[in-house]
Amino acid sequence: MPIVAIAYFLFLFAPVLLLALGSFGESWSNTLLPTGFTWRWYEEVASDPSFRRAFVTSLQIVGLTCVLNVLVGLPLAYAIQVGAKGGVRLATRLVTLLPVAVPDLVLAFGFILVFSSDQLPWLGSFWLLAAGHLVLTLPYTVTALVADMEQLRLDEYEHAAATLGAPFLARIRDIVFPLLGPSLVSSMLTVAALSIGEFQLSNLIAGFLSRPYPVVLLQAFYGATGFACAATIVLLVLAAIASLASSLTSRLSNNKKAAAA
Amino acid sequence: MTLKYENVSFTYPGATTGIFDISLEIDKGELLAIIGASGSGKSTILKLLAGFVSPDHGRIVIDGKDVSALSPESRRLGVVFQNYALFPHMRLWENVAYPLKVRGVARSERHARAVEMLDRVGMKSRADDLPAALSGGQQQRVALARALVFEPQGLLLDEPLSALDASLRVEMRDEILRVQRASGIATLLVTHDQEEALSIADKIAVMRDGRLIQIGTPRELYETPANAYVAGFVGQSNLWQGKVRSDGMVDTEIGAFACDTQGHSSGDAVTVFVRPERVLPAAAGGEGQDAGGDRPASHFSGAVDADRYLGPIRRIDLKVPGGLIRLETHLRDAVTSVRVPADAIRLLPAHRSQTGVFP
Repeated sequence: MPIVAIAYFLFLFAPVLLLALGSFGESWSNTLLPTGFTWRWYEEVASDPSFRRAFVTSLQIVGLTCVLNVLVGLPLAYAIQVGAKGGVRLATRLVTLLPVAVPDLVLAFGFILVFSSDQLPWLGSFWLLAAGHLVLTLPYTVTALVADMEQLRLDEYEHAAATLGAPFLARIRDIVFPLLGPSLVSSMLTVAALSIGEFQLSNLIAGFLSRPYPVVLLQAFYGATGFACAATIVLLVLAAIASLASSLTSRLSNNKKAAAA
Repeated sequence: MTLKYENVSFTYPGATTGIFDISLEIDKGELLAIIGASGSGKSTILKLLAGFVSPDHGRIVIDGKDVSALSPESRRLGVVFQNYALFPHMRLWENVAYPLKVRGVARSERHARAVEMLDRVGMKSRADDLPAALSGGQQQRVALARALVFEPQGLLLDEPLSALDASLRVEMRDEILRVQRASGIATLLVTHDQEEALSIADKIAVMRDGRLIQIGTPRELYETPANAYVAGFVGQSNLWQGKVRSDGMVDTEIGAFACDTQGHSSGDAVTVFVRPERVLPAAAGGEGQDAGGDRPASHFSGAVDADRYLGPIRRIDLKVPGGLIRLETHLRDAVTSVRVPADAIRLLPAHRSQTGVFP
């Protein structure tokens, strides 16, 4: 077992390690490892206007996707948990999980067909890109929240609060949000990690001025090796931060669930 | 402040289970227990009163006012849930103060009232703890305090002791009764534990398949059950199928019983019902003095099939030709023959069980 784990770990991290080395290497051609040390590539990435714009766009898309996930996903998950039974539950499950099963390519073509029409000429806009990211990430939010609501026995606490005289809004404020907070944060960080790295859909539907970071990154591979490495490392660091934060908060919310159970 | 069900019926959507034509009344200060097997509809009775579901027919009346259409938050009923449902993110005093908070009571006052209520259930010293730090019995006390702090019109207890250890259950039973008596509140207790119901209820309602089969004091239920089901559900019992032979005699699969057959005519199918503690061991061959009035006791002999030592008593299954006799005795001697005094026997409507022993 440990050998398999170590081998898998190497397989996973060797490319990352090479990228990191490459991003600091002065030159890297026809050698196993790069030679020399420089900050130059990071400076170039930082001063490149299209990369700067893409970086900002990506952060905006990530933030917006998270907000939309809360606004759409939380009420949806709540409705499923409170009201849906049998067939309805199955149907909502299917609809929310479909975007995971269907290749991004199919979704992108659908977007292109629908939103390049005269009636809905929104292809290439920032908001459509955010909507696309919402569709791709919503299943994770809804599935995680519904599961957490059940595990937390949220309905029991809500019933109890109702008998104690708390109307709906008070229950949401005093019971649902405080209990669900950690799993909400953890879901959002998962969504952020997914959204930061999303390439397939973005590449096909993003407009020239609203390209997120991964799409612009593709351009880097046509230039100097060190530049490409440095640009990739930037993305990796962002993704790693989101993943790390997500697993930390999910541990926190698990502790809370253990306390509730 | 009475709680009342008037001809209430409710069936779950898409199912045939539910409750049918239930009428019940719980007076101020009274503790009514509803018992029944799982699926008998006893939890539905509680949900209807709490307001989680609305009746299809009939009315739920609290203190003279029809509340059938009101939501749970407008009914002013304290509910203690099976798992207590203490809010895990609130301190104990905040839990108890929550009903006051949603009613707009100022923080300092609700803190004072919550702590006072916690004091009444013996949990004052833990007011600043979180529920996760408490044992089951302690959570139960806090849940009780929270359900009573806003002076509700009724108290609803949903299987309140089922999550506790056996040793703690008796203690909490007395605690619940004490608090209930002190607040003089109409109380509905839903339980599957007949011993729990017998020990603390003023009245017990027995449910089966969504219908009320008998309602009465614990003593009435135990001594004069309406039918074989109640007899079998409340306490231990011997039930034998029988047929009235003549005045004062009933034939069963294990032999003839001498008993009062008033109200039955010869040839009627009946169920002969005897509590195990009323079956008396008899010295082999000896005819003891019968305390059963003018009728002689019925005698049976056989071999011991099972002998369970329970400390104060032994519970014995005596195998006799044609069936089993269950008896309970504090005597330590071997038992081979028994007598059943005539006044220990009650005749119930015939039931369809083939085994003779119920349940």
